[in-house]
Amino acid sequence: MSHYPAAGTWTSCPACGRHVHQSQWGRWQQCPYCHYWQRLTANERLTQLVDPESFEALNSGMTTQDELHFPNYTEKLAQARATTGQAEAVTTGWARLANWPAMLIVMDSHFMMGTLNTTVTRKIIAALQQARQRQVPVIMVTASGGARMQEGLYALVGMNLILAEVARFSAAKLPLITVLTDPTMGGVSASFAFKGDIIVAEAGAKIGFAGARVIQQTMPTVLPAGFQSATSLLEQGQLDAVVARPQLRDYLVTILASYQQSGRPQHG
Amino acid sequence: MDERLRRLRAADRVSAPTIIKALLPTFVAQHGDRLLGDDSALIAGFGRTTQQQGLTVLGIDRGHDLTTRRQKNGGALTVAGYRTALRVIQHAEKFGLPVVSLINMPGADASPKSERYGQSQAIADMIAAMGQLTVPNMVVFLGEGHSGGALAFANANVVMMLDDSLFNVASPEAVAAILHGQQSVSEAIDLLPMTASELQQRGLVDDVIDHRQATLVDMLCQRIQDTVTELQKQSAIDLIAQREAKFKDFMDWWPQG
Repeated sequence: MSHYPAAGTWTSCPACGRHVHQSQWGRWQQCPYCHYWQRLTANERLTQLVDPESFEALNSGMTTQDELHFPNYTEKLAQARATTGQAEAVTTGWARLANWPAMLIVMDSHFMMGTLNTTVTRKIIAALQQARQRQVPVIMVTASGGARMQEGLYALVGMNLILAEVARFSAAKLPLITVLTDPTMGGVSASFAFKGDIIVAEAGAKIGFAGARVIQQTMPTVLPAGFQSATSLLEQGQLDAVVARPQLRDYLVTILASYQQSGRPQHG
Repeated sequence: MDERLRRLRAADRVSAPTIIKALLPTFVAQHGDRLLGDDSALIAGFGRTTQQQGLTVLGIDRGHDLTTRRQKNGGALTVAGYRTALRVIQHAEKFGLPVVSLINMPGADASPKSERYGQSQAIADMIAAMGQLTVPNMVVFLGEGHSGGALAFANANVVMMLDDSLFNVASPEAVAAILHGQQSVSEAIDLLPMTASELQQRGLVDDVIDHRQATLVDMLCQRIQDTVTELQKQSAIDLIAQREAKFKDFMDWWPQG
């Protein structure tokens, strides 16, 4: 029945609840009513940031088994794989931005809230290592609720293991640009997200260590306006910049060009 | 409360100040991060042991009564605490003093103020600096320690735990919360490897100490000094490499899919 719309043509905005047609979300996935920026999948993010057909994925098939037999974890993993079509919560690979080569590390909040686990850790470390070997800058787009509780300490040690690799990358005098998107919290925020040479947040992102709910549980308190918003973090001196989604690619190109890490952009 | 957790959080639990007093007869306290303030949950400083061994200590204390618990925020470290700890380990590095952390804490402070001053940045800086430390470091879990807030101290050459202590990605309460009440907090402790014996079997914990022995404090002081003496035989490069290898070996038990 071709005159019926395809499923998912209309979706409700997570922020204002209004029904928004697919065409209204537009290229940048912004709600036309309340201007909320929809969370992007890793593929959507890459499409917006990198030169067409320049992306070359690494370890895209690497997946996770529940080794600790944590309740419901296997089902959650299967469900996340089915809904996202991705093997895990991060996508890594070579890309070019206006011909400037870079290693892209893109987290996806649609996969178990982009949580850091053993596989995500391994993929990020491998990407940093390869970028260092090829002397290429790294752009890390974070979107994560923190460490994945279902993997216990095996997930937590991803924080210090990635930071050890970041230290080697840094010693090679290569730029690490972290792009903090909605949400960047907990163990991801308290490790590599805030260890970039340049730390930029996407407009509208919520960024912090402990979420509002956890803070309220610890001590009921009135949270300030704009709590953990990208703009308030910029005002507080925690970030280098806040950039709106349509300008993000150009902004990253300017950074890569300013570092001039690889001399000139590669052509062809 | 679960009996195991109650013990760790009891007022008469062996605490960092008790051990520091026994370990370092001469002790110079270091206070404050020089900008935001001083965190009274952190006891930091350096001194000499009875065997003339120079040491830096970072002790985290929950407090022993209602007043001190409130003062010390129950051991949940604030940004000022992490930044002070960072300053103190940089000082330790300058003077070649091994760093001993003694912790019993729920995790890092979760509050609007800590968010305002960059709790994430403070913890990230501390984890990274501990990993790259050119002097030996070790941690003793006197009770519990969870999440990145505890990892900031546990990113060490040697991890020691009292036998009834816990170390996890999140508190048992938080683990129970993600299961929406399907499991109690007590059951949550057994869902993930977080006890000293389990973590020793899995290679993350090097030494487990019986908390019931009468000479616990003396014994801990001796073990700390022996461990540090042994670690000091290694070069700075080896210490950094050994620290990373320790955590990598632990994670490598989890097969790559």
